[in-house]
Amino acid sequence: MSIGSTTNITQAALRDVQGPLLELTDVRTHFRTPRGLVRAVDGVSFTLERGRSLGIVGESGSGKTILSRSIMGLLPSKGTERSGSIKFAGTEVGNKSRKEMRHIWGKEMAMIFQDPMTSLNPLMRIGDQIAEPLRLHLGMSKADAAATARRLLQDVRIPEPDRRLAQYPHEMSGGMRQRVMIAIAMACGPTALFADEPTTALDVTVQAQILDLLGEQRRERNMSLVLVTHDLGVVAGHTDEIAVMYGGKLVEKAPTKRLFAAMKMPYTEGLLASIPKLEDQSHSRLNVIPGRPPDLVNPPKGCRFAPRCPYASARCNEEEPPLTATQDDPNHSYACWYPVGSPEYHEARARINASAGVN
Amino acid sequence: MRYFFQRFLQLLLVFVIVTFVVLVVMRVGSNNAQELAIKLAGRPLKPEESDALIQQYNLDANFISQYLTWLKNLIFHFDLGFSPQAGQSVADLLKPRVWTTVLLGLYANVFGLLIAIPLAVTQAYRRDRPFDKVGSMATFIAVGIPGIVLGVFLKLIFVVQLGWFPSIGDKIYPWDDLHEHFMNFFLPTLTLTIPVAAIYTRLLRADMVMTLQSDFITLASAKGVPPHRVVWKHGLRNSLFSLVTAVGTQLGALIGSAVLVESLFDLDGLGSQLVVSVLSADLFTVQSFVAIIVLIVVVVNLLVDLSYALIDPRIRQARALG
Repeated sequence: MSIGSTTNITQAALRDVQGPLLELTDVRTHFRTPRGLVRAVDGVSFTLERGRSLGIVGESGSGKTILSRSIMGLLPSKGTERSGSIKFAGTEVGNKSRKEMRHIWGKEMAMIFQDPMTSLNPLMRIGDQIAEPLRLHLGMSKADAAATARRLLQDVRIPEPDRRLAQYPHEMSGGMRQRVMIAIAMACGPTALFADEPTTALDVTVQAQILDLLGEQRRERNMSLVLVTHDLGVVAGHTDEIAVMYGGKLVEKAPTKRLFAAMKMPYTEGLLASIPKLEDQSHSRLNVIPGRPPDLVNPPKGCRFAPRCPYASARCNEEEPPLTATQDDPNHSYACWYPVGSPEYHEARARINASAGVN
Repeated sequence: MRYFFQRFLQLLLVFVIVTFVVLVVMRVGSNNAQELAIKLAGRPLKPEESDALIQQYNLDANFISQYLTWLKNLIFHFDLGFSPQAGQSVADLLKPRVWTTVLLGLYANVFGLLIAIPLAVTQAYRRDRPFDKVGSMATFIAVGIPGIVLGVFLKLIFVVQLGWFPSIGDKIYPWDDLHEHFMNFFLPTLTLTIPVAAIYTRLLRADMVMTLQSDFITLASAKGVPPHRVVWKHGLRNSLFSLVTAVGTQLGALIGSAVLVESLFDLDGLGSQLVVSVLSADLFTVQSFVAIIVLIVVVVNLLVDLSYALIDPRIRQARALG
């Protein structure tokens, strides 16, 4: 089995380099379209330590999926402009070709997709699909790969692994298939796992099981996890940190507990408010954030959330707020001129309440 | 297994219906058995001769009895009747010619697939790049040209102008002399293959482009599977359905083209014989010809059905249940 030079560098780096597993600096991914340049990801920076988990939260069209695929380098090269730096275990991977990335895919970085119904090859046995990366990356024999695949199915809590190995995807339920996807992702022991809406297509009861399974595998394998979702509820109990994305940019990033306790960005507040609560009366109206995500071809001049923000003032429409750390916690940063809790915020809120009272 | 038994019976029924209809159509014009006997013989008959024919082929009975007699003679005696034009039995007439048509059909399909599969896969993989655009244009032109025009064109260039190939074809088979076989069969095969390959390429490319956009293809890449394996192993098998269906349906059209191509290149086959037989109202020969063609089409479609199940486990299991 031939191992590409890329792999050697990465593996050496993983052992020796102390420092973050993933380091993004001003990552931009733009698509050339007939309408103009779509700024799907527009200057994102963050770091992720080995073994930690990060939730990336945002609406549809916020750029969260494109961001995760940009990090992996899975986007088609045609019509895509990428810039900024993506360091994986100390090695720059942002400028690598698909050919070079292939030795990292599945081995160092793995991905789980949203829809388990369409993400498995319908004409290939489950066992062969799990064994494929094992044979390709680790050069395992057929028998070894089959034995490992069996063990992986046990790891992801699939009963009767021997029978399941010989089955095809259509013979399994959605939750079962998502477990198989996780088994495939785990196969070569990657150091980073990207899960793109891994539970969106599943029943609520199965969702929790899959999230628990992901968390458990991450801890056991000391793996970093990037969990991409539109649902703050999903990341709440399953990630160390949360990054909120809006219009291609990070607008708030904080340790999970801190974010829920002291969110600064009105958008984050809106996202949280839009989760229905158990204590709400039945049939009460759901809270929504009015309006639509910004047009990424012609984004708003100032804060991208300003057109939908209830607290926005003149400055928000003119000047773009930078992502800055809070004074009391350097790990908590946000991009807002008048964050939740500021005097201007309270003033605006009072104004809104007053006008609501008049009506 | 039960599925294939059912399917076999269905196709057997197709064979019976088609051959029966042909028998009726060919014989319905005669007012009485004597007239029919004369038509079959293709010459005026003495009364005892005509009586013997009526007796042998049950000509004074209704069409169903006539058909059953025909079928009985075919199955038990391999008696396809006789051809007054050729002055021999139909079996002896067609037997040496069957291979010409069968080989032409086989070549057109095999070479058509050998050209279409790599071309379509590469086109789909390099979608909208120059290779794909040139390929799409070429297959579009090839689909548009009627086979016979292509044949005339090839004959003018390679036979009349360049003189590379003999102007009158000779049915020499590969087991006789491979080189001579090539010289005689190359142009007819090419004439049949080009349109077939073009159709196959267009169908497969379209399916393949769809397949390559699937999530499971992206997942295969994300597993680190090299592109050639992603395309050939994960992509191709998931894109074969239109192509396999086309192989079954193209066969009828291919035999139609073979009639023209055999005549054009003076290659002695079923097709060129059919032209002669139809023009001289050679009833037994036409009837037998249709029977052979229907049989081939039925068998190939059974194979097509079988290959759906080979390709897709979902179809396999659905059939096992049904």
